[in-house]
Amino acid sequence: MLEKLLAEIRSGGTQEIRTLAGKLGTTPAMVAAMLEHLERSGLLKAYQGCSGACPGCSLKEACQRSDFPHGMRIWQD
Amino acid sequence: MLQLHRHPHIHTRHHHQITGNEPLIALVGQPNMGKSTLFNLLTGLNQHVGNWPGKTVEHREGHFNFMGGTVRLVDLPGTYSLTANSPEEVITREFILHEKPDVVVAVVSAANLERSLYLVAELTALNAPLVVALNMMDVAAQEGIQVDAHILEAALGVPVVPMVAAKAAGVHRLLKVVEDVLIGKVIPCPKSPEVRPDHQQVLDHIRSLIAQHVPDPYPQNWVSLKLLEGDIEVTRMMRQALPDADWNAVHDILRQHDDAYMAVASGRYQWINRLLSAAMSRPRKGQIGLTERLDRWAVHPFWGLVILALILGVVYELTFAIGAPIQAWLDAHLITPLGSLAAIALSTAPLWVRGMIVEGLIGGVGSVLTFLPILVIFFAAFAFLEDVGYMARAAYVMDSFMHIMGLHGKSFLPLFLGFGCNVPAVLGTRVIDSRPARLVTILIAPFVPCTARMAVIAFIAPAFFGEKAVWVSWGLVLLSLSVLVLSGTLLNKIFFKGERSAFIMEMPLYHVPNTRTIGLSVWQRSISFVRKAGTAILAMALLVWVLSYLPNGDLNTSYLAQFGKFLEPVGRWMGFDWRLMVSLITSFPAKENIIATLGVLFGSSAESGLADVLAANYSTASALALLVVTVLFIPCISTVVVQKQETHSWGWTLLGVALMLGLSLAAGAATYHIVLSMGL
Repeated sequence: MLEKLLAEIRSGGTQEIRTLAGKLGTTPAMVAAMLEHLERSGLLKAYQGCSGACPGCSLKEACQRSDFPHGMRIWQD
Repeated sequence: MLQLHRHPHIHTRHHHQITGNEPLIALVGQPNMGKSTLFNLLTGLNQHVGNWPGKTVEHREGHFNFMGGTVRLVDLPGTYSLTANSPEEVITREFILHEKPDVVVAVVSAANLERSLYLVAELTALNAPLVVALNMMDVAAQEGIQVDAHILEAALGVPVVPMVAAKAAGVHRLLKVVEDVLIGKVIPCPKSPEVRPDHQQVLDHIRSLIAQHVPDPYPQNWVSLKLLEGDIEVTRMMRQALPDADWNAVHDILRQHDDAYMAVASGRYQWINRLLSAAMSRPRKGQIGLTERLDRWAVHPFWGLVILALILGVVYELTFAIGAPIQAWLDAHLITPLGSLAAIALSTAPLWVRGMIVEGLIGGVGSVLTFLPILVIFFAAFAFLEDVGYMARAAYVMDSFMHIMGLHGKSFLPLFLGFGCNVPAVLGTRVIDSRPARLVTILIAPFVPCTARMAVIAFIAPAFFGEKAVWVSWGLVLLSLSVLVLSGTLLNKIFFKGERSAFIMEMPLYHVPNTRTIGLSVWQRSISFVRKAGTAILAMALLVWVLSYLPNGDLNTSYLAQFGKFLEPVGRWMGFDWRLMVSLITSFPAKENIIATLGVLFGSSAESGLADVLAANYSTASALALLVVTVLFIPCISTVVVQKQETHSWGWTLLGVALMLGLSLAAGAATYHIVLSMGL
């Protein structure tokens, strides 16, 4: 299951968690749990919101309040 | 009510009673599962906090009265798994294996079983007397999640007690189950997940090789699994425990199966998936159901783009329908009379003082400040879309679109940030690992129309196009995005030849917007704009006024006019006079300076608002060309500085500036001549 998820990610492109859950025959929460696992294992990097671009940004204060779950989480290979 | 004895896999005995030593209970769980809440609830003040020997990890231990005696309760560190990746993980597993607690209570969240059962999957391999505290049942219920504890219990082979630790609900039942385990009335028989089938033989082989050499108290199967997972501590232990020949054999197997970690973890997730398919249901109603229904359209490759375009249209319509009349009113009834009043009040002051205040300060900065209402509406619309959860969808749809056009997938997030400000867009390219891809994204990021550019458009478009300003603005955004896509496609082909990268997005659920959150966002962004008007724009307005005053107080022979007239031949391609050329040049420090400069240059002749004066002085063709040049013109100085900082190259930075300069002038000239040829 985990390797299928990784294979999907490595096939390239941008995918949404719900679409991936459909492909893997599981729930979005399950996919999120596995993505977090892969992140802890160092196989994926996770970003929230501005992806570390906040230092030096004039909109920083306005943006930082819109954190997850109101913002979005992104994982990349 | 749980009836543990109903399940055949949980053996029951009735002849044991608790005797002798103080029982030891260990609490384990992932972070934020409510483990510490339960610990505090049970021990109250009878607890002490220190560090685990030789570690900086917190050690919490306490006692509570139970079954006529006292029980020792240890709150083990929060940990996601039991692999030796962190001190917390090592402490937890070593404590369970060496101290052999009489009961191990695994605290899991009913609202997040997908994540929290992974640790339970690992605990089942430790042969510990396990009880699962199914915490946060209230949160799960709020989210529409239904967990059948009976099914979960049957599938896990250990007692499962639903509870809400924060409200002390279910604690008595948990203690009753703990008592049953302590006296031997219930004996948990955990069912462990299997390793992925293609690695089962490998696991068996390793188990047979290490069978005679596993030190106490480590379970043989657990050690085999940890070897497959590449656990550093267990590998080191078995290297010392095994004879060389056996170690070499194990080592060879591990080397041939370096993907075994995935096989083990995958088996656990497969197990969790099966458990939850049977024991948990998430009815697709409420927020989740609504989100899924809306997203069928909102993230659709085609309809998603149509919806995005429509939403942009509505945002501009709202901005112009509400904001533009307020702006025009402020311009005509506040800035113009204020200028006249100031001129009268300063009639005895030196000419340069009067000019600087009336034309420089009021005409320049005042004009810029009149479009604050437009920005407030724009910021409010932006914050609303962000707060309901739509912006993430917009980013996703744009990304799919960019893929179609051959742009790099990792580029979408920084580009999307550009709608707010191009500076974080350029900084945001740090997420892109590939240097060519990053360079391309840095170069095209300023084509995303930032709020400052949109503010200028919001001022100029209604002045010339009235009710059609919405369509003009919408078209300008489409134009700049099309130029972005074309530039990106071209540069993509040159620099990294269609390379694709991976991105997974988790969309937030749609939800009712919070007015306080939106208000705060609008306030912060508006204050930031006013601060800019009081500093950078004020400085530029005063500099422009000084240059328009020197050397002899006549605008037409001023240094500024001389500079503008030097540029005028280029301006003529686009139907610009020297004033428009100067305004364009002054937008380099900050985009809003275009308005401030026009305010200074036309301030002295303005009997009505600046917008009306502009409409009276320039043709439709010149106005549209000005708008086109503005959306595509070189970015502001802050963006250029960060472009240099991020590319570490003046060459790339200047290439980006030249690209935008060339494209903007060419597009402006083409627009001017096309509109002229149409007789407008």
